[in-house]
Formats: sequence, structure tokens, C-alpha cells
Amino acid sequence: MYCHTPCGPWSTVVHYIWNRDLCDELCLIDVMEDKLKGEVMDLQHGSLFCKTHKIVGDKDYSTTAHSKVVVVTAGARQQEGESRLNLVQRNVNIFKFIIPQIVKYSPNAILLVVSNPVDILTYVAWKLSGFPRHRVIGSGTNLDSGRFRHLMGEKLHLHPSSCHGWIIGEHGDSSVPVWSGVNVAGVSLKGLNPDMGTDADKEDWKHVHKMVVNGAYEVIKLKGYTSWAIGLSVADLVESILKNLHKVHPVSTLVKGMHGVKEEVFLSVPCVLGNSGLTDIIHMTLKPEEEKQLINSAETLWGVQKELTL
Amino acid sequence: MLITWWYLYITARSILQQTLNMASILQKLLTPLVSGNPEPPRNKVTVVGVGQVGMACAVSILLRELADELALVDVMEDKLKGEIMDLQHGSLFLKTPKIVAGKDYSVTANSRIVVVTAGVRQQEGESRLNLVQRNVNIFKRIIPQIIKHSPHCIIIVVSNPVDVLTYVTWKLSGLPKHRVIGSGTNLDSARFRYLMADKLGIHTSSFNGWILGEHGDTSVPVWSGANVAGVNLQTLNPDIGTDADRENWREMHKQVVDSAYEVITLKGYTNWAIGLSVADLTESLIRNMNRIHPVSTMVKGMYGVKDEVYLSLPCVLNAGGVASVINMTLTDNEIGQLKQSADTLWGIQKDLTDV
Repeated sequence: MYCHTPCGPWSTVVHYIWNRDLCDELCLIDVMEDKLKGEVMDLQHGSLFCKTHKIVGDKDYSTTAHSKVVVVTAGARQQEGESRLNLVQRNVNIFKFIIPQIVKYSPNAILLVVSNPVDILTYVAWKLSGFPRHRVIGSGTNLDSGRFRHLMGEKLHLHPSSCHGWIIGEHGDSSVPVWSGVNVAGVSLKGLNPDMGTDADKEDWKHVHKMVVNGAYEVIKLKGYTSWAIGLSVADLVESILKNLHKVHPVSTLVKGMHGVKEEVFLSVPCVLGNSGLTDIIHMTLKPEEEKQLINSAETLWGVQKELTL
Repeated sequence: MLITWWYLYITARSILQQTLNMASILQKLLTPLVSGNPEPPRNKVTVVGVGQVGMACAVSILLRELADELALVDVMEDKLKGEIMDLQHGSLFLKTPKIVAGKDYSVTANSRIVVVTAGVRQQEGESRLNLVQRNVNIFKRIIPQIIKHSPHCIIIVVSNPVDVLTYVTWKLSGLPKHRVIGSGTNLDSARFRYLMADKLGIHTSSFNGWILGEHGDTSVPVWSGANVAGVNLQTLNPDIGTDADRENWREMHKQVVDSAYEVITLKGYTNWAIGLSVADLTESLIRNMNRIHPVSTMVKGMYGVKDEVYLSLPCVLNAGGVASVINMTLTDNEIGQLKQSADTLWGIQKDLTDV
């Protein structure tokens, strides 16, 4: 059983999960009743072509009972030009309504937070739910890393799955590209080009990271919102959880005590996902400047978090 | 005389009625709009050899829905017929509408990819290199027939010893070298990734590690590239892969080398893993993906190799075959091992007759 809240452009998350036959029951929740009903009906009309035998939707959270995974996309979305951190208090208030309801009906669920700013809202979901930290996961930089690997693939004329690169830290403007780990077939690209990621780099790989950071803003400017890529990246995470794959993904988790971070903040690092949630964290060997960037992100996030009323 | 004519008339009318009735169900049911010859296949795959490996390749390719037509060829006619019927009986559950088979290679015409698994298999304890001349003679019959009916195909050679037989196939086919690929160490690397990932408690696909060179006893694990999430394992343990390593990670590579022999000892042959790995290669080729796989390719001129030998290196595979080869940053030791493999293989190849 899997539950999704709510609809909107991010109902593509739902679509991919439904289309890839990941769960046996799919539940949608939203406050906008007509929109919700329309979406559920449309999905149900496609049920001949899929393997999800039950699709339900309601305003009432009792329909979400016994969910294994709850994906939270609820909240106001970024306006054109708005940074993720500006959305915060608007979305905290929405979460104060949603999270306790989810917990009430699915006390053993794994929460997957997608709403932005995802790192802060994952922290908020963790605090409000009272769940252990391994069951509260933020979609984090899974998407940023996906965008990076796509752009890397374009630059090298390779498929993204053969391009390896990890973006960690904040899902946002201060995400950290770990240049030392970027490789193709185990060949470290920084080993071939020591200037990679610096201003001196003639190939300007730093621009690739910049394109990742700006990617969301650009798509929002062009089509009003982003949906497909985030939908696919979340379905990817849900698949690892529901199928107990123990695959490594960069997702947002509590990083206090790691890489010099002192506050209770959530940032993306490579984590192992299985059916009990986040089972392990990978310790990356970071350069001092990369760790510094993480600590800066942590401080920025904490600066916002400590002002929140939860 | 009138009675004879009468009986003739009744018989003729009855036959006519029967014929008309048989035709009329089809005529009543369907109104054809398109006449003429059906379209030729766009993604046809042929598998040569319907032994355990060939059938595992065929089934993996069918389940991945990679081909719009599948052809099977073998010399053992009954076995072939039984296998094809069994597959066709499953067609309700598949998306490959045409599955054909025959002893005659005309069934393979217009293939995009031809997977060659024909040949005798390793006996218990037999090293791959000992199979050689037996399989060369078989290939001399097979390869020219394949080319005759599918002159533009890409050939994936699976039969062992795969590196030598890929060379043989290249020579016998006259195809450019980028269209003749050996399944090579795609399987060894998959085994390696599985064993390493299992030890670390993560999914196989989250462990990145490459085994190159000979698909066999002298394969080369590139320890310097082994990583999880970009974290280089050799940086965490500089002794990895050496005798000094207290964690003895080298044992993982040894297990990879021994694993085929072990499975053969236990169940008589290996098939599932090789079948899946071949389907993986086929997917990159048919779907024009530009994905990188460690496969056996012609390496003369690389890493100091002077002879025309096939060894596995990471290759970018797309619809044209091997698009490019990744230049690995190898240690002197690793390059030395590759060269040694090359020398061993050339030692065998130069003595082959009729290639």
C-alpha cells in the first residue's frame, strides 16, 4: 500500500509509480476534492493496462491506513524566480496539518518528502512525526544528481547510466558536486583534468553544475513547473524501498555529526535504501572545500530552521 | 451413367461447400486493408545454438522485449523444434510476434544482432583455452552462413574461449572490427560487482568495478577504479588487491575466476547469468544507448599490444556496434597483465588452421 499526497503537477510521481507496477494499492490525498476525484478516476480508467489493483483517493486520511510508503508532495510550489527557502513557513503550516494525520493511520510507514525546500521540510516532517530518522527521507539531490549525469552524458556522448557523478548537500542553490568521484568506467575525470570544477578549467565543468542548480528555475520559467524528472526520480527511490534493493541513492537525511556538521539538519549524502527505509549511510571522502560547503549549507538551513514554529 | 454423374456432382458440391465455408470464417471476420508483403523486421535477433546458454540468451532477450523477431538455429533438429514450439506456446505472454527456427540459415535473414553460442562447452575442469580448435571448426561452417543472410549485422560471440573465438569470427566474417563483439568480461564484471556488493550489503548496481582482459583465468580486476558512490575503495585501503591486504579483497577476484568452474561442477553448466548479461549487451546495441560495457574488442595498438587479439575493455555500445573504447588509467602492473593475456592468446591464435 502506498500513499501519495497531494495531486498537482507532481502527480507524475503517482503516474510513474503506478505505471511501473511498484505497489498493490495506491492512495491519493488532497484538499482539492474535485481535482482529486478527477485524477483518481482518470487513473482508474487506465487500470486495464496496469497491475495496481486498487486506486483510491479521498480528503479523509483514513483511506491512507496501512501505507508502506507515504510520498509527501503537498505544499505551495516555487513561483518563477522564488528560491526554495522562501517557501518555508507556508509549507510548514501545511505539514502541521498533514504529518500527524499520516502518522495516525500509518504508524509504521516510511515518509518520503518531496515538497520544497526539501531538506528543511524533511527535518520538519521528522520532528512532527516522531518517526526514527531512518524512516524519514527527503528526495534531496537524487534529482540533482540525475540532472548532472544527464548533462555529463550529453557532454561525453554517453548514456547517463554510464556516467557517474554525485551531487550532495542542499537540494538547491548550494548543492555540492563531488568532483573527485566523477568517473566513467572507474576512470576519474578529475584525474584526467585536475582543473575540473575550478575556475581555471578550460572545459568549464563548473558550468555543468551551474546548469543543474538553474535547471529547475529554467524549466519553471518555460513550462510553469517541473514534473517528469522529479516523478521519475521519486519512483526510483520508491522502487528501491519497496523492492528492498539496497541501492545507493543521494537522499536527504540527518547529517548531524558527519563531515563537521553540528546542527540537526538534513542534507543529501549517498544512502542505502531498503524496505526498512534508510539502512546505511556512505561516508564520502570529501575535500576540505567540499566539507566546508556542506557546513555552510548546514548553517544556512539551521538559520532558517531555528526560526520556525513547529 | 446418370447415377455416376449424380454422385460426382454431389461430391463436387460438397467439396466446394467445405472450401467456401472454411474461407468464409476468415472473410466474414476480417476485412483486410493492406495487401502485399509484410514489413521486414526492424529489430531481429538471431541466436545460434540452442543449448543451455543459447536458450538462456533467447529467453532473456524475449523477456526484455528487445526484438520484433527472434530466430534460432542449430544442427540438432529435434531439440530445435522442441525448443521453438515451447517458446511459441508462450507467445500469449510475450511481445515478440515472430519466433522462427531452422537448420537452414535462411531463417536468420535480415538480423540486426546475431548471438553465437554454438560450440562444445567446457567439460568439468577443462580450461577455456583447451576448447579452441574444436570450436574453430564449427565456426568455419557457421560464420559465412550468418554473413550471407545478414551482411549488415553485429555479431556477439559468446562461445568459449570467447576472446579467441571473437578473433576467429572477425577473420571469418570479414566484418569491420567494431561489428564483432565478444561477450568477454561483461559476465566477470557482473559476478565481481555481485560479490563485492554482497560483502558491502548494497545492491550490485551500486558497486562499480571493472574486470578487463581475458574472460578467463588471467582476467584483470582494475582495483583503482572500484568505487561506491564515487568513493574510491583503494583510497580507503591502499593495499586492496595486493598480498599485503589484511581484508583479502583479492579473494573476491579469485572467486570470480573460479565461479564458472564451480557452477559447472555443481549443476553441469552455467546459463542464467550469461544469458542475462548477453541481453544487457543486446539492449545497448538495439536501443542505441551509448552505454559502456566491458566486452571483447580488437585491442591491437593499445597498452603496448602488438598482435591482433581480442580482449575486454570498457566499450561504448550503440546501434553501430562498438562506438569507442574508454582509455583506462591502469597501473603498470595491470598493463603488464593485459599484455601477458594478449601474448598467451596470440600464442594460441597463430597456430590455428584455416582462419
